[in-house]
Amino acid sequence: MGERMLLTGNHAAAHGARLSRVQVISAYPITPQTTIVEELSEMVASGRLQAKFLTVESEHSAMAACVGAAAAGARTYTATSGQGLALMHEMLHWAVGARLPVVLSNVTRAMAPGWSIWSEQTDFLSQRDVGWLMLFAENVQEAQDFVIWLYRVAEQVYLPGMVAMDAFILSHTSEPLIVHDQDRVDAYLPPFRPLYDLDPAEPRAYGGLVNRDHYYEMRFKMYENMERAGPLLAEAGREFGEVLGFPYAPVEPYMIDDADYVLVSAGAMTSNVRFAVRLLRERGIKVGLLRLVAFRPFPFEEVRRYLGGRAKVAVLDRNMSPGHSGIFAQEIRAALSQGAPPTDVYGYVLGIGGRDIRVETVVEAVEDLLARDHPERCLFVGVKGLPIGPVRPDAEVRPLEPLEAEASG
Amino acid sequence: MSDLSHVDRYPEIPVSLLASRGVLRTGEWRNMRPVARERRAPCSDACPAAVPVPRYLHLLAQGRLREAYETFTLRNPFPAITGRVCPHFCEAACNRDPYDGPLSIRALERYLGDAAAGLGLVGPEGETGKSVAVVGSGPAGLAAAYYLRRSGHRVVVYEKREKPGGLLRYGIPEYRLPEAVVDAEVARLGALGIEFRTGVALGPGMSLEALKEAHDAVVVATGAWEGRPMGMEGESLLEAGLEYLEQVARGHHTLPGRRCAVIGGGNTAMDVARVLRRLGGEVTVLYRRTAAEMPAIPEEVAAAARDGVRFEFLSLPRAAAKEAGALRLTVERMRLGEPDASGRARPEPTGETVDLEFDAVFKAVGERADLAPFPDAMRQEPGGWLAVGSDGSTADGAVFVAGDLATGPATVVEAIARGRRAADAVSARLGGGYDLPAWAAEESPDVVAPVEVNHAYFSRRARVEPSEVPPADRVGGILGEETAGIAAADALAEIERCFSCGYCNQCGTCFVFCPDAAITWDDGPVFDYDYCKGCGICSVECPGHVLLFVRERDDG
Repeated sequence: MGERMLLTGNHAAAHGARLSRVQVISAYPITPQTTIVEELSEMVASGRLQAKFLTVESEHSAMAACVGAAAAGARTYTATSGQGLALMHEMLHWAVGARLPVVLSNVTRAMAPGWSIWSEQTDFLSQRDVGWLMLFAENVQEAQDFVIWLYRVAEQVYLPGMVAMDAFILSHTSEPLIVHDQDRVDAYLPPFRPLYDLDPAEPRAYGGLVNRDHYYEMRFKMYENMERAGPLLAEAGREFGEVLGFPYAPVEPYMIDDADYVLVSAGAMTSNVRFAVRLLRERGIKVGLLRLVAFRPFPFEEVRRYLGGRAKVAVLDRNMSPGHSGIFAQEIRAALSQGAPPTDVYGYVLGIGGRDIRVETVVEAVEDLLARDHPERCLFVGVKGLPIGPVRPDAEVRPLEPLEAEASG
Repeated sequence: MSDLSHVDRYPEIPVSLLASRGVLRTGEWRNMRPVARERRAPCSDACPAAVPVPRYLHLLAQGRLREAYETFTLRNPFPAITGRVCPHFCEAACNRDPYDGPLSIRALERYLGDAAAGLGLVGPEGETGKSVAVVGSGPAGLAAAYYLRRSGHRVVVYEKREKPGGLLRYGIPEYRLPEAVVDAEVARLGALGIEFRTGVALGPGMSLEALKEAHDAVVVATGAWEGRPMGMEGESLLEAGLEYLEQVARGHHTLPGRRCAVIGGGNTAMDVARVLRRLGGEVTVLYRRTAAEMPAIPEEVAAAARDGVRFEFLSLPRAAAKEAGALRLTVERMRLGEPDASGRARPEPTGETVDLEFDAVFKAVGERADLAPFPDAMRQEPGGWLAVGSDGSTADGAVFVAGDLATGPATVVEAIARGRRAADAVSARLGGGYDLPAWAAEESPDVVAPVEVNHAYFSRRARVEPSEVPPADRVGGILGEETAGIAAADALAEIERCFSCGYCNQCGTCFVFCPDAAITWDDGPVFDYDYCKGCGICSVECPGHVLLFVRERDDG
């Protein structure tokens, strides 16, 4: 079933779009997303994919074109990264408010300035409150499959969805995967049936002014559908296993049943975390892992079930929200505040701006976790010259020092 | 649980429940609005015959050959002729000139003329019962005859020589304008019922008065054939250039001597020089000013130089004398002075002379019309030039003049324009006429300026130049047609270069750009002013600036 191939995460994402039979692709290239749309444009040019490929002048326009195409009833795809996703932000709201199930792959990249093309999840998580379904892929197989999985659910609730793929670590690393057979994907993913027909014979105003007595209700219904998306995502993940051989779920526990200490992670770093858990288990430390696959809708039940009552929970965040903590840490604490037994959540921030998250980095964090006797909101791992710990209370702003050459002159 | 059924009745998205048309007329916010207004392209404006260049090119590009031909021939019935010999004032005016070179309009015109070889000219809608005589069958006479016939009059063309065509047949060499092209145009006119009577000249045998008796009106277009005297010593030893061309046109391909000189800088001088060169002569052109002031078509000057014709500028022959079987020409060297009435630098004598030796010397310094048949009443002063209105009318209400007889020596296209105007003036007097399409009836005099063109829509590309037929392949030998027509693919590619100034060639740019979808399409943009907010984008983008942006309160 399917064809075993060796592909980068980006090419796998392109295959995910192809297998989903997307009809319109509108994209603007940005490192490290570029090879996704390059591959798609070649698929379209060669006729392997029957779709309209629109080149536009910005990511804002890319999403605007997706909105137009989806409103006209096309299954629509785009991909972006970092600053591109930020520029798309207004149109992300548009897609969701118009209830258009666009799917996009975002190669997560640190935000500028300073300019960085390297891996970090803050760009993606900054879109938290827009109302899109949000998934984190860990490997090349998922970079492909999550596109298909998302279309399946997004088109049931008429809400758009995005997949996060870590820059380079996932986007540009080649791994073996199964590229599914088209007929199997067709069996899993029915054709898109738009919510409203755009009919030139009966022109209507879309996205216009809404009075105070209607807006709230529209948003309320949008919220209701996002709630529906939780169980639908779980169901569609199970069915993905039945039809295509890879079962997926909103969370993925590992060595968790008897664990006193549970690490939480998302995205490609999870592979190293999993390896570290195994090493630590060999040392007799009862540590486990809960990988978050779905971020929106948030898997409250699963988080409470797997994390509630553990001795210590350490959330590993490749992102941060200044003035608070890592974003996953906030979300986990919020989930545990409702009906779960008291659980201490330790927030660890690491891997910012593409800094490597090695197996030893995770082991160091766990050793730090074991040594602490009360939870810390936000602990920084791997800041040069500093041990793992919170921010310095005596931090101050220093003026720019003169360049050495000037000072000596 | 409380009842939320009212919430479920809301649509999922903000969408108007009624079709939106008529609900919110955003066009009411507008204080400027776009209007589609066709205006005159500079090529058409510069053309004496006012040929609507972008319009016929667009039709040609769409494969609508007959419509292109009919559009063209509303203004000039002979594209195959002017496409070969016109000095193309259009190209000099072309808005594309400063960008990457003017459109190759003359080559496209010839392409149209050749492609339309099998088509007939539009004939009359009905008969007026009036009869008009046309005297002379050069470009002015033939054009006048055509538009008179199209207007419903019976037309008789009187021609002094044995075949119709005048200067086209007897004055322009075969290598520029093959006789077969002239024959075809004459045949087309004959097919409309125009009668040609050849071998009859205005004069004692056929007076103006007699023609007025026999017809309701007379158009005289006998041209300018008489050599202008230079007033130099030994002038009778020189040969007349135009007469020589006529002789060659009649098949006498004789070279009067090996070393030839041609005096003059106009088209006749170039024609004589190039014919002599083709027949094996060593040819020197003597011109009293410099290359920049030559009235000849620049391409012809360049071609003459390529042929191996030598040029002696600032040279004015003062005397000719026979000497030992040869002609000694005493030439005064000139210098350029202040501009004269024509705007060109005036040649001034230096007193310095040089003697040159030739076997034959041809005079081509301009011709003048034979005015003998015209009574003093039709002249500006007794014995002087004819008094002619811009429409060819004269003091005699039944007599009109056209072509070189009306203007003095000019170009084929000016003669054609004069012929058409005279014909229209005749119809204004006698009744009859032909229907004008809307564009011609409402033509704007407003010319599109170069800055109005949106260059963003045009990539720079060299113009298509017609190629030369290799001498061995020329039909009719060494005097056979020299310039090849351009291929269909080249014509289409060249038409794409046209800025289409002031003419909507249905590019659809406005339709694509309108952010309010307030433009619909019906062979061109149609504005829905209920929804046009007056942003002006269509007007800014319009490549040929057909869409103007006007204040809402002005009527446009």
